[in-house]
Amino acid sequence: MQRKYYSITLLLLLVVFFNACKEEEYALPDAKTQLQNECIKRSLGPNVVGLDLEFVYAMALGYNAGKITSAQVEASIPGASGTYLEHRSFYTDGSGVDIPVPVGNPSVTTGAKTEVVFTKDTCAAALRYFYIIPEEARGKEVTFTFSAKASTGETVSYKMGPYQIAKMDMKLDLVLSDNNKMYLSVADMAVYNAAEAAANADKIDLVYLYRSISGITFAHALAAPAANPEYLPGITLPSGVANNTKYLKVYGLRDRHLARLQYGIYVDDVDFEKIDFTNATNYGLNMKVESGAWVETADGKYRAYIFVNKVDNSKKEMTVSVKRYAMK
Amino acid sequence: MKKYLIIPVAILLTAWAWVSCTDFPVDEDGLLITDRAECYVSNFDLLGTDFQTVRVSAPTIDTTAQTINIKVFFGTDLKSLWPQFSLVTDAKLDPKITGFVDFSDLSNPKKWTVISGNRKVKKTYTVYVTVQEKP
Repeated sequence: MQRKYYSITLLLLLVVFFNACKEEEYALPDAKTQLQNECIKRSLGPNVVGLDLEFVYAMALGYNAGKITSAQVEASIPGASGTYLEHRSFYTDGSGVDIPVPVGNPSVTTGAKTEVVFTKDTCAAALRYFYIIPEEARGKEVTFTFSAKASTGETVSYKMGPYQIAKMDMKLDLVLSDNNKMYLSVADMAVYNAAEAAANADKIDLVYLYRSISGITFAHALAAPAANPEYLPGITLPSGVANNTKYLKVYGLRDRHLARLQYGIYVDDVDFEKIDFTNATNYGLNMKVESGAWVETADGKYRAYIFVNKVDNSKKEMTVSVKRYAMK
Repeated sequence: MKKYLIIPVAILLTAWAWVSCTDFPVDEDGLLITDRAECYVSNFDLLGTDFQTVRVSAPTIDTTAQTINIKVFFGTDLKSLWPQFSLVTDAKLDPKITGFVDFSDLSNPKKWTVISGNRKVKKTYTVYVTVQEKP
């Protein structure tokens, strides 16, 4: 009986042995010689008007087949001023530094088309494309058609998108200062002094103040003009400034666009739509660096996310960056 | 041949019997009911909408009187505070904390009941919140 089992085991081992030793032959694949292309999107996060969409467009054909003569990108909505296609191909050296190699003339943009005409005899290039998101694209979708031509007469193209362009606006580094530019308008995304605030009274959503009061932690604060005067000590509001802004304090929401830090967090349109202001208050004391607040204007027209970039106790200043979304 | 079969089957049966006979009672929340009778709050905190603590100093927890006294910063929005309880091992809280709680009615302090690990001892704690006053 045992011998029978030994035989079966031996047979199985032999099968395993033969399978394990089977050699898989590898042959180098033949490289394609016709013109081909590939594209990747490099920029991350929501596509905000004024920022750029960055792509890398790579094209190549066989070494002896010919050379690339031109590369072109056509956007469904023409890019804003500053849109360009690199005329330099980059490679990364041993130290991780991107080294440019010019391959053609600087790009020429005509309407929605941006083109680079090659001047170097090259069979391969990877060109970066920077599309500055224009105002016309707000809330719309944009697509791109990358194409390349070779001396062989071949043409290739690559479609990218559609990409949704965000509805929101963005403003960086507004400096609020106590007793001076202390009135923040979400509608205008600007800071005003008392005289300017009086002239734009209905647009003033928050008042900035810095107080060092012994026994309590007040420090840098933002409060709606209609907040309890306890939270606006020593403030005489300009005539007509009375909005009751909804305010939800948050901490650690370091939006990459606003904070410009290493965190991969982005506030997008959908966040403004979904934020619940049911339990919102109308002030926030002791605002620290990297804290922020979700805000809704008194008329419900705008929602915003305010991020605190910097505070300065001696100057009594606070630098904020704002993303704003029109609800109506 | 039989010998080779009987031994593993016997081992498997013993293991199955061992596992199936061990009784682990669980409560309606799927939590283990143990034999611990201790029932108290060991720490307490309140978080604001930014999930940062709003307490000025460590709370005073009286396990005999079953009270928690906590002082929060001037300007704390009492309508949206997230309580955080630390309980003795195996104990649980009733009602459960599922979100922000409104503490603004200071004359009617909030109450939570701590239930011991054996689910036989219940102690109701009252949370008294005071706000730091402006000098």
